[in-house]
Amino acid sequence: MTATASNTTLAVTAWATAAVIYVAARALDIEFSMFWLFGLAFGFVLQRGRFCFASAFRDIFLLGHARIMKGVLFGLAVGSVGFGLIMSRQIPMTSLGVYPPSANVLPLGIHTGLGGLLFGIGMVVAGGCVSGSIYRMGEGYVASWVAFAGVMGGLLMSAYTWNWWWDAHIATAPRLWLPHWLGHPGAVVVTLLALAAVYVWVVSVEHRAGMVVPPASGARPQAESVADDLRSAAHRVFVQGWPVLPAGAVLGGLNVLLFTAREPWGFTGEVSRWAIATASLANVAPGPLAGVETLPGCVLVPSDGLFFNHMLFLVLGMFFGSFAAAVGAGEFKIRAPKRPVRYAQSLGGGVIMGYGSGIGMGCTIGAFFSAIPSLAVNGWVFGGFLAIGAWIGTHIIQRIE
Amino acid sequence: MAPTKLDVRGEICPYPMMRTVSALKKLSSDERVLEVVTDHAPALETIPTQAARLGFRTDIQETGASEWRILITRNEAEEEA
Repeated sequence: MTATASNTTLAVTAWATAAVIYVAARALDIEFSMFWLFGLAFGFVLQRGRFCFASAFRDIFLLGHARIMKGVLFGLAVGSVGFGLIMSRQIPMTSLGVYPPSANVLPLGIHTGLGGLLFGIGMVVAGGCVSGSIYRMGEGYVASWVAFAGVMGGLLMSAYTWNWWWDAHIATAPRLWLPHWLGHPGAVVVTLLALAAVYVWVVSVEHRAGMVVPPASGARPQAESVADDLRSAAHRVFVQGWPVLPAGAVLGGLNVLLFTAREPWGFTGEVSRWAIATASLANVAPGPLAGVETLPGCVLVPSDGLFFNHMLFLVLGMFFGSFAAAVGAGEFKIRAPKRPVRYAQSLGGGVIMGYGSGIGMGCTIGAFFSAIPSLAVNGWVFGGFLAIGAWIGTHIIQRIE
Repeated sequence: MAPTKLDVRGEICPYPMMRTVSALKKLSSDERVLEVVTDHAPALETIPTQAARLGFRTDIQETGASEWRILITRNEAEEEA
């Protein structure tokens, strides 16, 4: 009980700090404060739902489980309906061949497949993707900090090679947007049907893998008063882990809200800005990046010499929201791996992921969780190669004891 | 006989589950219990499922701040039949 009380105190302190930062951010720019709130919400839900995209893909192959993938599919379905509605207002006439300005409809080519493949391998080897590493950094996982540093390194390496990728593949690659052929309702329906087909596939994988034991769900005692009832509701939100379907739906819904406010969820572009800015401090910044200003989504962002940016507040908010959620649930703890090989895995996996997200123009979020709802073909290709990469990564981690 | 202990605190995902599974496979046939100590909450979902697939049942106790002891006990053959 005392542990719970001190958790509550810590959590209240963390949220009060978040509120102070909100006020300060609002004084700088109203957009900063809004993105801070979005970041907090995403981080909170990722932590509460233990919503790890790396394990969503990996566990299909490693365990024959699709528990988290079902949440991902549900989130994608929610996102697709919402994005479809927003884009149908932005581009009422799909026959004109124009693209929604901020949706993640990206050039599709070899870079998409290779980016997804590398990202899938790296996220499994590192034990988490970029969003997973951010929320686990907030939970106190030291290896996730190492993985994040690796991601920055990999993004920087992709920036050094970007102009080659641009000239050889990206500049001429087509951007395939389903509503151009199917109209908005048709594109949403086809996307939902494809998500349902993936659902059927993962359920069949689960059955082939054999018995699946449902998590024990203790019957809740009958609440005796309003206060009891509210206490139990707060416990389910702030202390117990969330079931994965509501977590996926809320993430999909938040993504729709963020797109309504400005642009879909994604942050590797911002992380690349940090990496490139750090490199320029050491005078080793890559030169100008061809074409990046013409692309939406999480494409590399050259350093602009500024420190603050609305996306900075989104990423820091995700980290802080996870931290506050973990503290409130009593799940914050500094955890450092004892085996040195784990640090090498986290760093190496992070670098591979970072490079993949540089050329693939996003991570499991920007190039997948925001791209499929953008009704863009590149989201499906990136996702398919994520799965292949995760399958390869699963074989790799089983050889590293 | 004291149960075999496995301490996977600090491990990154998914090694708490993978090392538990390989320890269960290495238990000799007269050993009935494996005690796992972990600080990785997602393992509380994956370890019971994988243990059940190998014929074990699990009992999870929270032993501290974000730390759990999982007692994994072999199902008796007679119970199974």
